[in-house]
Amino acid sequence: MKHILLCLVFAALAAVPRAQTVADVVRFAVIGDSGTGGDAQYQVGRQMASSRSRSPFDLVLMLGDNLYRRASPEVYASAFERPYAALLADNVKFVAVLGNHDSPESVTYPGWNMNGQRYFSFTRNHVRFFAIDTNVLDAKQLEWLEQTLGTSRELWKIAYFHHPIYSNGKRHGSNVELRVRLEPLFLRHGVQVVFSGHDHMYERLKPQKGITYFVVGSGGQLREGGVRRSETTAAANDQEQLFLLVDVDREALRFQAITRNGAVIDSGAVPRQPST
Amino acid sequence: MTTHAVHLRRTTGAAQATGRITASGVLHFVTGHYLLLPIGAVVALLWANIAPESYFNVARVMAFPVNAIAMVFFFGLLAQEIFEEMMPGGALHDRRRWPVPIIAAAGGTLGAAAAYTASIRSATVPMFLDGWPIMAGIDVVFAYFIVRAIFHRHPAVTFLLVVALASNAMGFIALAPTFLFDGSRAGGSGVLMAAAVGLAAWLRRKEVRVFWPYVLVCGALSWLALYLEGFPPALALAPIVPFMPHTRRRLGELFEDEVDATGHSPRHYEHVWHYHVQIALLLFGLVNAGVMLTGYGEGTDATVLAAVGRTAGILLATAAALALGLHLPAQLSWRELIVVALAAAVGLTFSLYFAIALFPAGPLLAEIKLGALMTAAGLPLAFVAAWLLRVGRFHPRLHSYRR
Repeated sequence: MKHILLCLVFAALAAVPRAQTVADVVRFAVIGDSGTGGDAQYQVGRQMASSRSRSPFDLVLMLGDNLYRRASPEVYASAFERPYAALLADNVKFVAVLGNHDSPESVTYPGWNMNGQRYFSFTRNHVRFFAIDTNVLDAKQLEWLEQTLGTSRELWKIAYFHHPIYSNGKRHGSNVELRVRLEPLFLRHGVQVVFSGHDHMYERLKPQKGITYFVVGSGGQLREGGVRRSETTAAANDQEQLFLLVDVDREALRFQAITRNGAVIDSGAVPRQPST
Repeated sequence: MTTHAVHLRRTTGAAQATGRITASGVLHFVTGHYLLLPIGAVVALLWANIAPESYFNVARVMAFPVNAIAMVFFFGLLAQEIFEEMMPGGALHDRRRWPVPIIAAAGGTLGAAAAYTASIRSATVPMFLDGWPIMAGIDVVFAYFIVRAIFHRHPAVTFLLVVALASNAMGFIALAPTFLFDGSRAGGSGVLMAAAVGLAAWLRRKEVRVFWPYVLVCGALSWLALYLEGFPPALALAPIVPFMPHTRRRLGELFEDEVDATGHSPRHYEHVWHYHVQIALLLFGLVNAGVMLTGYGEGTDATVLAAVGRTAGILLATAAALALGLHLPAQLSWRELIVVALAAAVGLTFSLYFAIALFPAGPLLAEIKLGALMTAAGLPLAFVAAWLLRVGRFHPRLHSYRR
């Protein structure tokens, strides 16, 4: 009887679909062009902390222009450490790339976890992140990217860098010169999502050749009226500073664009492509 | 180039006589004034802004063959022209004329670097700070044609040439440690370069009067040596040129050779390569000058300000040299100097070349390139200044003004 009961229990357990565990979800936030040290950046920082209390995350991607003034201990404190003090106190890890306004020596700043590297890669569960330096996209970096993308076996490959290769920003727009170098690598190796900044607004583009591009360049800066919507625009906002909250499970990447006032102005899901 | 110059005069004269503009006349005017580079640059700008994806794909494929191989012939021709100008009868032969323009070049480079650095610092874009050596670049060919067109044969031409050459030399020296060409620094390049120069010296000693062995054998060895060391291989012919056959020059005839009794100088390097170099320059403009106008940024402003800084630096350094007791050449006054300093603001070819040597393709390079193209404004400014100051071709007594 005991054996029969045990068999029934095991059979019941096997029949129940495996529930998604917390470990299967990689949750992180994304901010770009944040380092103004102004009120809006602090408000975004507080909103990130508030969101984290409801949806815990321990990783933040910084898309460059993390400081708009010459790097110094005071500037790091006023434009990074204080705005995100609550997150840093809870050991949330910020992992940055540099923008055109950042100092090259900031790669060694411990708070940004770049470990002295301009470009690098790291993994969280089934997600591989590729931090790319588009300020100096030299042959050596492209060779590294090709090799690292090629050997990556994670379910998701996500790239992030400062200058957008697709954007409908009025000020900068798409950097096509970078696109002809990066896009073939992304397509060849199955990158599914790309985050960039530089244009001081938010935009989600319709998938371009199967890749979803986000421009998240209003983490502190904002160019009001900075979007020229086109047929490639899926959603855009040029009225509020914001950050992006992202959940990645095995099937989809879910995102919410949350303003400094807590309003969700864009949300949705990017399904994982079956081929990858 | 000799026959080209003669033909240019003939076709231009014939067209003027009949009042017609012929296609060959236009072509000769364009090649005779090295206008294919700006034409290539304009085409590239239009192409990059109308169909950027196709432009950048093409430019990417062509970059190495054009910048590292085709430009060998441009820098070879330039080195040949300069070397011959330093021979008896040439504009640069009298070295007593050098000190003031060299001081002016140093002042111009300092002025350009200071203006650039100040602009970058105020704009808080530290990524650009390393780019100051680019600001030493003066388009020696373009500036020469501007000053020549204004002054004809005049000490201002020599002054400009020395300023431009010294300034570019300073740029190359400043850039040397950071060249980003894809050389693997494999070692052994010193042996290769010694072999290239040694072989050229041996050919010279054997009185080999055709230039092909110098270019194809010595030039190839030199190219490989520079490439392996990570230096711009386009400079491969510069160390070979002093050993190649040369002809004497007349003052102010840079890029226009003396002809022999038959009207030809077929053994002469620049005679044969004149059109090839022009095509190389056309391609150089086409491959490197294509920038999306949305790429405008702080680097663009800084590059333009650097050109202003160079003009001011040249004038200030010349004033300092004169205060120290040096003298300007005869017939050269402050009015002419102002025009020369404005012509020296044109960075174009050399600024672009220095920029691609320092920054890889991308947004930083695009901003600097846009600024380098904008320095072409020095051309009309030099003409306007000459007109306002009544110097050169605008002088009221032109015949007594020219030598």
